[in-house]
Amino acid sequence: MPYSETFKDHLAHPRNGGELPDADASAELTNPACGDRLRLTLRIRDGRITAARFLAYGCPPTLACGSALTEMLEGIATGEAARITRQQLTKFLDGLPARKSHAAALAIETLHEALRTIESPPDSER
Amino acid sequence: MRRVYLDNSATTPIDPRVVEAMLPYLTEKFGNASSVHFYGQEARVALDRARREVAALINARPNELVFLSGGTEANNLAIRGIADAAVEHGRHIITSQIEHSAVRGVCDALEKRGWEVTRLPVYSDGIVRLEDVRAALRPDTVLITVMLANNEIGTIQPVAEIGALVREERERGRKYLWLHTDAVQAAGRMPVDVETLGCDLLSLSAHKLHAPKGAGALYVRRSVRLTPQSIGGHQERERRAGTESVPLLVAFGKAAALAREELSERIEHLTRLRDQFELGVEARVADIVFNGDRGRRLPHLSNISFRFIEGEGLLINLDMQGVAVSTGSACSSGSLEPSPVIRAIGRDDELARGSIRFSLGKDTTAEDIAYVLEVLPRAVENLRRLSPLYAKVSSSRLQVSS
Repeated sequence: MPYSETFKDHLAHPRNGGELPDADASAELTNPACGDRLRLTLRIRDGRITAARFLAYGCPPTLACGSALTEMLEGIATGEAARITRQQLTKFLDGLPARKSHAAALAIETLHEALRTIESPPDSER
Repeated sequence: MRRVYLDNSATTPIDPRVVEAMLPYLTEKFGNASSVHFYGQEARVALDRARREVAALINARPNELVFLSGGTEANNLAIRGIADAAVEHGRHIITSQIEHSAVRGVCDALEKRGWEVTRLPVYSDGIVRLEDVRAALRPDTVLITVMLANNEIGTIQPVAEIGALVREERERGRKYLWLHTDAVQAAGRMPVDVETLGCDLLSLSAHKLHAPKGAGALYVRRSVRLTPQSIGGHQERERRAGTESVPLLVAFGKAAALAREELSERIEHLTRLRDQFELGVEARVADIVFNGDRGRRLPHLSNISFRFIEGEGLLINLDMQGVAVSTGSACSSGSLEPSPVIRAIGRDDELARGSIRFSLGKDTTAEDIAYVLEVLPRAVENLRRLSPLYAKVSSSRLQVSS
């Protein structure tokens, strides 16, 4: 298959699969073109993401991006989270096949949507 | 890690007896079958024998076969060949919604050139209705092309009945109507007899029969006029130019002979293992649906939709455990639309995206099936645990039961 070892590792051993009960931030988005769906739930303490979980339905890149993103999010400030780009996510997975970049886009959009649901504004980076 | 190949509808392993038969033609017997000298004649004899062997598989006369590069080329030659030859008599084609991409592609291309194409539905069982064929017939119909067995769900179409209908029409004076059937998946997995089917044209592919890729044949009934599509040579009685690939065609012949000799054993073996597999999946995995009629279908194939998960994810999970299958999910085909065949039988997008085709082969063993039954439920469970669709359903099921 045309996927990197890191990618395959995320597929074989997804990190943070599941859902946080009483999440501080959550969002579920669907890519209308192909039906891929990603749900993110976050726990936030003092402006930092202390836990992140994902649920994903769709092609393998969608799952891998969910897994990779939650790994990138753990422990970081919400302001920093808001600045994660598709390119950074793709790089974290050691690349995605060209026509699968929509999976990274979905992950980042879902993240932004989740951050919008936080009641207090995200802390700015010190 | 055990490796289990369950993608025989995509291609098949080459039988060692076939390799042995073709080796001399890759080594010392390298002549061009059109050459007059000894080397050419040696190749010619081998080609003639291969032709007889392939013809015998379908009860055709050897000179009714056009050897070419595969099923796709056979489908192209059949449809374009008739269209070009018959265009003054009509420009309407009847086909089905579940044809292989080669047939679909050529029909689509003809439609762009002003031909009219009726694509018959298949209903929930995946089978075309004879009444629909009859109703679709027009005075300007020149070709009916309906596959003998479908590649994704394995369902067997009523080609013999359509053949009888065409014969009736001819008895009533219709002169310009022909029947083509793509038998690429069917050959070697069920009896295929051009006289019983009453077809005028029939496509075959070597690599679906345990021979190498790159060879195929188009059966063309003796009276049928086709416009050749590959021109500039005299080969194949002027019907398909190009130096014949003797090694590949010798392999095709040998594979066809073996398929004919071993047909009943293979059917029995495949049916038994496939049925065991399906019973096993039903017992171990919930929330599944079977796609296509489970009676009128090829013996080796099982197409199953797994709810709440997507096919390519399951395919890769299985691949990581050594099991090779294929999926109707769009992601893996590169289009945005999930399998048109699964949609044509009335399944929604989610079920179409969650469909997996398991296609067994003559070398598949009971141990292989046992192994797949071990890894499949775990793979499905792992993906369902990650699925937001499954999470919703699980929580509502809990509520109902409490």
